[in-house]
Amino acid sequence: MDVVMPQLGETVKEGTVTVWHKKVGERVEANEPLFEVNTDKVETEVPAPVTGVLTDILVAEGATVDVGTRLAVIQEDGKPRGAAPAPEAVRAPAAPPPSDSSRAARRPAAPARGGEDGPPLSPVVRKLLAEHGLDPSAITGTGAGGRITRDDVLAYVEQRKSGAPAQGAAGERVPFSKIRKRTAEQMALSWRTIPHVLQAVEVDFAAVDRARTAQAEAWKAKEGWALTYLPFVAFAACRALPEFPAVNASLDGDALVLHRRVNLGVAVDLGGEGLIVPVVKAAADKSLPDLARAIHAVSEKARTGRLAPDDVTEATYTISNSGSFGTLLTAPIINPPQVAILSTDAVTRKPVADGERIVVHPVGVLAQSFDHRAFDGAYSAAFLRKLKQILETRDWASDLR
Amino acid sequence: MAELTYRDAVAAGIAQEMDRDPRVVFLGEDIAAAGGVFKATVGLLERFGPKRVRDTPISEQAIIGAAMGAAMTGLRPIAEIMFSDFLAVCWDMIANEIAKARYMSAGQMTLPLVIRTANGSGARFGAQHSQSVENWAMAVPGLKVVAPSTPADVKGLLAAAIRDPDPVVFFEHKGLYATKGEVPEGEHVDRLGTAKVLRQGSDVTVLALAAMVPRALQAAERLQSEDGISATVVDVRSLVPLDTKTILAETVKTGRLYTVEENPRLCGWGAEIASIVAEECFYDLDGPVVRITTPHVPLPAADALEDATVPSVDRIVETIRRTAG
Repeated sequence: MDVVMPQLGETVKEGTVTVWHKKVGERVEANEPLFEVNTDKVETEVPAPVTGVLTDILVAEGATVDVGTRLAVIQEDGKPRGAAPAPEAVRAPAAPPPSDSSRAARRPAAPARGGEDGPPLSPVVRKLLAEHGLDPSAITGTGAGGRITRDDVLAYVEQRKSGAPAQGAAGERVPFSKIRKRTAEQMALSWRTIPHVLQAVEVDFAAVDRARTAQAEAWKAKEGWALTYLPFVAFAACRALPEFPAVNASLDGDALVLHRRVNLGVAVDLGGEGLIVPVVKAAADKSLPDLARAIHAVSEKARTGRLAPDDVTEATYTISNSGSFGTLLTAPIINPPQVAILSTDAVTRKPVADGERIVVHPVGVLAQSFDHRAFDGAYSAAFLRKLKQILETRDWASDLR
Repeated sequence: MAELTYRDAVAAGIAQEMDRDPRVVFLGEDIAAAGGVFKATVGLLERFGPKRVRDTPISEQAIIGAAMGAAMTGLRPIAEIMFSDFLAVCWDMIANEIAKARYMSAGQMTLPLVIRTANGSGARFGAQHSQSVENWAMAVPGLKVVAPSTPADVKGLLAAAIRDPDPVVFFEHKGLYATKGEVPEGEHVDRLGTAKVLRQGSDVTVLALAAMVPRALQAAERLQSEDGISATVVDVRSLVPLDTKTILAETVKTGRLYTVEENPRLCGWGAEIASIVAEECFYDLDGPVVRITTPHVPLPAADALEDATVPSVDRIVETIRRTAG
């Protein structure tokens, strides 16, 4: 009997097999857990439909397939083999074929192992996908039956490198990768449902910069990476948020859930593939050096694709950092159910009035988008004023000691 | 460069080596007075005399046995077997004696001899006179196997075979004897065990041997102009030793490999190459290796049936067109 991807919810079109509980050749009892499925909506265990021996697994763990796709074959007790074709049945013609052309015309009807729900992937295509860390669903196949050819992968890699669309008058259609798709859905949902308000303050980073510069070399030597402005902003936010509990909160229907802990999300760009927001848990409990290390650690994990599920959940407030690109001001989109997000932009040296004198200080803009359903402009502005005050006046040198 | 026919290149190659080395002798049926049944050895008797260019009785075993003895005792004989099909009647001496002598005598005995033979279809000679049996010879350890496709390669590879210290089976193709090509002037010696890239493409790699080489080249031109499929064509030239370096390199460049073989399908030379490719560069393949071969049947004598059996330009084009995507 064929085991197929179940319909889990009316609007669900596909599911990802996350775990197989049985191996090929093992016995399964009816209603015993056979595998786990993850869809946009649910994560659930699927029981075996019949008792017998699991003779074939056609969809590997991690593969996403359409509802109804054959996932596995169970040879039921007491039924003759052959109702569902075993892999060896596809091979071995009884007699040598009369000519090679008729043989080549008989394309094997083998299942698309490992090619997710598309045609099979050739060895060189698999190798290239692995080398470049690509998801085959992102690549348009131009080969027979929509097969992804070696040239398709190379063209995709080339196009991604140059950032320009491939040749062809009509342009090329590049389907979203999974993470791009999820980013798109989440951003559109946020934009549709949350009344965003943007507020920004200009912050003089002179105090931060003095402490940072004094420690820069020692820090780099000890930690192996540079100390940026981001940990200072994060640390300041962790000091300001307890005074403004509605900012560190989630919207839940008609209520605001105020969080005791600050779990700080740090948006990390994955080179065009999409966004991921790893989370530093209990960020307000950390010293400045520890917070800097924690942010660095989760960002690295995100960039190298080693995040655990626990690393991306339960954020209560998010910082998005575009400063390294030299931006003046970014209007970030809130990640629901959070109610605010802060953008740090470039810190540049600018003339600043110091009494009647003009001096040159490092200056940058901090911009916050907030959910106007959760609170109002005065509250947000007061939070930003507090943040600015901490950054400009704190004794940062002792925080770094 | 001089333009020679494939058959004239045979005589030119033999003459070059007989001139150079007095130990080279030539024997076979009707090769001397008649100049060869395919007229490939015209003029040799007149030039080198009946002692070195000998007609033999109609006995393939006698020819091979005499050549073996001559080689054992210091000469460098060239033996002609008129049709390669007749190698079968000599197989004990070739497969069990000639191929094994160096090994079983621990190198005390070497057999520097060449067995020239006319191979392949095209002349409508039927099941016993049209076979492509290069894969028979390839299956015997101790034999070198060469099958040229052009007059220049005939001369150069024949010279190399004659100078080689070990037995070489040299397959000339009946269907190519009348073809013409440029042959270098003066002494021309090629190297055994080297394939030749005749056409460089980017989509598919096609390996061919002997009469299948011009067909593969024609097919490549048609695929380029009709389908925009760009094909590399490699003339394998030598089955033992096999130039795996060139074959693997050209396969990796396109990721798609086709063999065009006149020998019958089962255990044809392309099967060995497909196996090597699967083992050595599986992860560079962008699709299955496809073999275009004569089916596993005795060759028919009727024109239309022979044409339908041996790989044609049409069949090569259609197969590649259908499977290259």
